[in-house]
Amino acid sequence: MDIDIRAKSFAGRPVLGPIRLTLTQGQRVAILGPSGIGKTTFLRIVAGLDHAFDGTVTEPGRTTVVFQEPTLLPWRTALENITLPTQVAPDLARALLAEVGLAGKDALYPRQLSLGQQRRLALARAFAPSPTTLLMDEPFASLDADTAGRMLDLTAALLDRAGVSLIFVTHDPTEAARLRAQVLTLSGSPATLDG
Amino acid sequence: MVLSLGAFLALWAIVAAIVAEPTTMPGPLRVWTVLADEAASGRLLTNTGITLLRVVAAFVVAMGIGVALGLVLGRSHGTDRWLNPWLVILVNMPALVVTVLCYIWIGLNEVAAVAAVVINKVPLVTVMVREGARALRPDLDDLARIFRMPTGARLRHVVLPQMAPYIAGAARAGLSLIWKIVLVVEFLGRSSGVGFQIHLNFSMFRVAHILAYAFTFILVMLVIEYLVLRPLERHAGRWRQDGH
Repeated sequence: MDIDIRAKSFAGRPVLGPIRLTLTQGQRVAILGPSGIGKTTFLRIVAGLDHAFDGTVTEPGRTTVVFQEPTLLPWRTALENITLPTQVAPDLARALLAEVGLAGKDALYPRQLSLGQQRRLALARAFAPSPTTLLMDEPFASLDADTAGRMLDLTAALLDRAGVSLIFVTHDPTEAARLRAQVLTLSGSPATLDG
Repeated sequence: MVLSLGAFLALWAIVAAIVAEPTTMPGPLRVWTVLADEAASGRLLTNTGITLLRVVAAFVVAMGIGVALGLVLGRSHGTDRWLNPWLVILVNMPALVVTVLCYIWIGLNEVAAVAAVVINKVPLVTVMVREGARALRPDLDDLARIFRMPTGARLRHVVLPQMAPYIAGAARAGLSLIWKIVLVVEFLGRSSGVGFQIHLNFSMFRVAHILAYAFTFILVMLVIEYLVLRPLERHAGRWRQDGH
């Protein structure tokens, strides 16, 4: 993945300055920075959700995202929450559910799962379409320390198995270390990346 | 509920007995006799069936157009700004005027009758569905974009489930409004249906017949509400159940 952001503004106010980042396959990068610095804006640009910026993002493969909230379809079952958005076969979705510890919960609706289980379901969904790059936007922020720890280990295991590149936005350096991600800091106004 | 309905019937019977004018104020028993006679003759079933067909036709067309328009207006600010004044005019246009104009412009036929009901109903459905479309969750939009969900799947699994309460509300409000408008339309320009029977019996001053037809149709609408609309809503809302 090749990211070349020259500038990003909101209503004439510059938010992001020049940012260049090239990610090789399997490389993991953690973006740290204070709240409001533009981490989520950066991630939305990389994800292709925000096109109103000056620059280019080139990704020859496929990018998926684990959002801050689980962002599930409440009216569809756990299994359908993987198969419908990603269009993967139910067997693959079941295997992924088992991998994240949700075996046998295929038919449950998100509301019938705990927050930790919902997060694991969102993680399984992100890996389902075999992405080349995974983007994560503070996905462990609202979890207790134990659950967050288990989620970090699970994420690391899935990343190892799939050989997926990672851009991980967080404000916690220990999370970055646990995922063995290279730390880059977003700072300044407009914000730029420092290695 | 049974007690409340019983009290209503008792009050009606007492008022009818006090007025003592069975032609203008028939009691429940008299209306029931007329209802049984009309049913036995086959007229009640035929006319109720015809009215129901018109209601269903108008309902399907009005909901289809209204939901599509509401979605577009709720999602596109520019289109909404353009079409909103038209909507305000149509919402406030009296049903009677629309009906009369349809009969004059299209003719005294089935198309005009259904068109009149549809034109009366579409603005209300559009306004209700537009509110739902404005409240669509942006995070689920992002989800659909990230995973490149095809348009059809996005509509079916992301958009419509969020819209369901608004569409159900529009359907319920729509059904009760539509059957009343259908009766007016039939009253003014058709030679069949419950509205026509009310017109006919009005000209002959037969209040018991008018009430018999009105109550029959209310009953039909209640049956649709309890046997069709509510089970559908329950089915659509099963995901709201709490954990086991």
